[in-house]
Amino acid sequence: MAISKSKDLLGQLSQLERTVGEFSFEELNAHEAKELKESFNSFRSSLEKHIYAPKTQQIVPVKLKTDASNKNEVSEKQFIANVSHEIRTPLNSIIGFANLLKEEKLTKAQHKKVQAIQFASNTLLKLINEVLEYSKISSGNTNFESVDFNLHGLLKDVMFLCETLIVDRNVELLIDIDENVPKIVKGDPSKLSQVLLNLLGNAVKFVERGFIKLEVFTKQKNNNEFLIEFSVADTGIGIPPEKIETIFNGYTQAEDDTAKKYGGTGLGLTITKEIIEKLNGEIEIDSTVDKGTTVRFRLPYTMGKPTATPVRKIQKSTFKKDVKLLEGTEILVFEDNKMNQHLIVEQLTQWGCTVHADIDLDKGLYLLSSRKIDLILMDLKMPGQNGFEVSKAIRSHKNSRVSNVPIIAFSADFTEQDSRDCKEIGINDFLLKPYTLDDLLSTILKCKEHKVEQIDFSSILQKPMIEPKETTVVDLNHLMKDCFGEIDMLNELVKLFKLNAIEFIGNVKIHLKTQNLKEIALSAHKLKAGFAMIKANGMRNLIVELESSCKKDDFEKVKELYDVFLNDYPMLEDNLDKDLKLMNKK
Amino acid sequence: MGKRVLLADDDQLLASLLNFRLKKGGYSVHHSPNGKEVKEYLKNEMPDIIVSDIMMPYCSGIELIDYVRNELKSKTPIIIISSAGNEQNVLTAFELGANDFITKPVSPTELLVRIAREINK
Repeated sequence: MAISKSKDLLGQLSQLERTVGEFSFEELNAHEAKELKESFNSFRSSLEKHIYAPKTQQIVPVKLKTDASNKNEVSEKQFIANVSHEIRTPLNSIIGFANLLKEEKLTKAQHKKVQAIQFASNTLLKLINEVLEYSKISSGNTNFESVDFNLHGLLKDVMFLCETLIVDRNVELLIDIDENVPKIVKGDPSKLSQVLLNLLGNAVKFVERGFIKLEVFTKQKNNNEFLIEFSVADTGIGIPPEKIETIFNGYTQAEDDTAKKYGGTGLGLTITKEIIEKLNGEIEIDSTVDKGTTVRFRLPYTMGKPTATPVRKIQKSTFKKDVKLLEGTEILVFEDNKMNQHLIVEQLTQWGCTVHADIDLDKGLYLLSSRKIDLILMDLKMPGQNGFEVSKAIRSHKNSRVSNVPIIAFSADFTEQDSRDCKEIGINDFLLKPYTLDDLLSTILKCKEHKVEQIDFSSILQKPMIEPKETTVVDLNHLMKDCFGEIDMLNELVKLFKLNAIEFIGNVKIHLKTQNLKEIALSAHKLKAGFAMIKANGMRNLIVELESSCKKDDFEKVKELYDVFLNDYPMLEDNLDKDLKLMNKK
Repeated sequence: MGKRVLLADDDQLLASLLNFRLKKGGYSVHHSPNGKEVKEYLKNEMPDIIVSDIMMPYCSGIELIDYVRNELKSKTPIIIISSAGNEQNVLTAFELGANDFITKPVSPTELLVRIAREINK
């Protein structure tokens, strides 16, 4: 059966190849372009049917299978893997030709048509890559690890990565780990993060507003063995009941137009299910249309040995003691740069504070009057409503509980006018960026304990203006020349650069937990060129050092350099934005 | 249509800039983000010049030179992009038949000059 279906598939493919070969693109009109797109789509779904139709009917208890049929299934999957591989070759030439065609002088309409071809063939390529991964897993070609790892740490890292995905969306990301969940377990950390990222990634895709929640608890415990249940709940579009049964079967998305609206090939869940079953777990899905979806899965783990976790760097004892004093402090953060916001929240939360960020004046005032807020951190130079205005509004609030909360301002520069304004408005303290974690901690503590009513702001002015930190310097002039002064290109490159940096931060964070220095070195290597382009030589040197420390297996040094990176990068990004804004004005 | 450049580099950022500059320079560019895709592309099409990073996923620049020279038996000029401090890689690349190399950080202007020189040889 496998052979005939696959032949069918190959037949369709050569048909497609012929059709594309015979195409006279100049004569395509909108209708034809649409048809072409549809034929790609129907080809895609027929591909899916051929590959998965036999599988759904094979629900035979495993024990009843003879060795022969097992072998058959394996070779069938191997065959699918081979065929999928074959498909990629002609497909790549479709993509290649479409790319070449785009280079030629085309009318606007023709250009659009070529784009339609590119879109369809790229989608197909993505599907095929997923098919390959799927068959790799189900034919047993994937290795599963069994190592001790910090489960809580992994969960937090995964959430951190997701946060970078939803930074600009009106979606809240929640995590709830029950205290009965063991910290260190033995199992496969990378497969677990793949599964979680798949599910959370799905949720991110389908949720427009509301929340995404990851809950984890121990379902069963037997001596050293745990059955842990993970659930990912979202307030997304949901799945109709009749589709739920088939959702794990190969290429399925609830509505036929789901792919059009949300993208994706629908294999993510199939791969997820395969992985979970290979790990002796189970998965189920629960969904209501327009209300949301909850995916639950359970995986068995044994208790791990804590010695296997990375040794934490011992911090200066006073620092540690000071951090203790912060526990339970509730802080408002007015900072509109998402990257900065994200990092400061991370840091403060790690110190045991409750943090409210991503707020505007109204929400801030509401929180101040309804909760016991200890402290406010305020970026003075926010582009919209700036920190001075927000502080003024807080200080002049009629409720004294609101108006008396200490405010620590921060900003990258500080002028005489700023000094007068801070004093007049009643801002209590000031941090000049870039500040160290020590600075942040001691300033917060001072303010919290009401040790200072108001600092002498002129003292900041009298300090010789600190030379900008080497690791935060950028210069876009050079890159602008390389772009022949085309501002759009420059904007595009800077955007790409920032994405790379965010990706780097997430990657390193995850790989630090598993001490995978090889991956970190690779990530660092990839980032070097970007820093060279924007002439951020100080930061580039840091990355070079980080890469070579990875190669020397110096874990502590890597961690230290990464911390410096985390501390300085937001400043560098600020400088980058400033520079870019200047360029855009010119 | 301008001369065809195959640009093999997994660094999105550098590739975007080079792509832009090459097109401005009148070339038509095919960009491949990994070595596997490059190989498949070369099965159907031989560009006028290949510019390839040494470090790439699935198939390194070194493997690529070997593939072009010994399997495809093609003399298409190849320029290698290498990281600083990787002299050994550059030597191997030359032994296998690379025509020129450029060290990161890449200056697009320099690369364009080198490409023009190779093509007009």
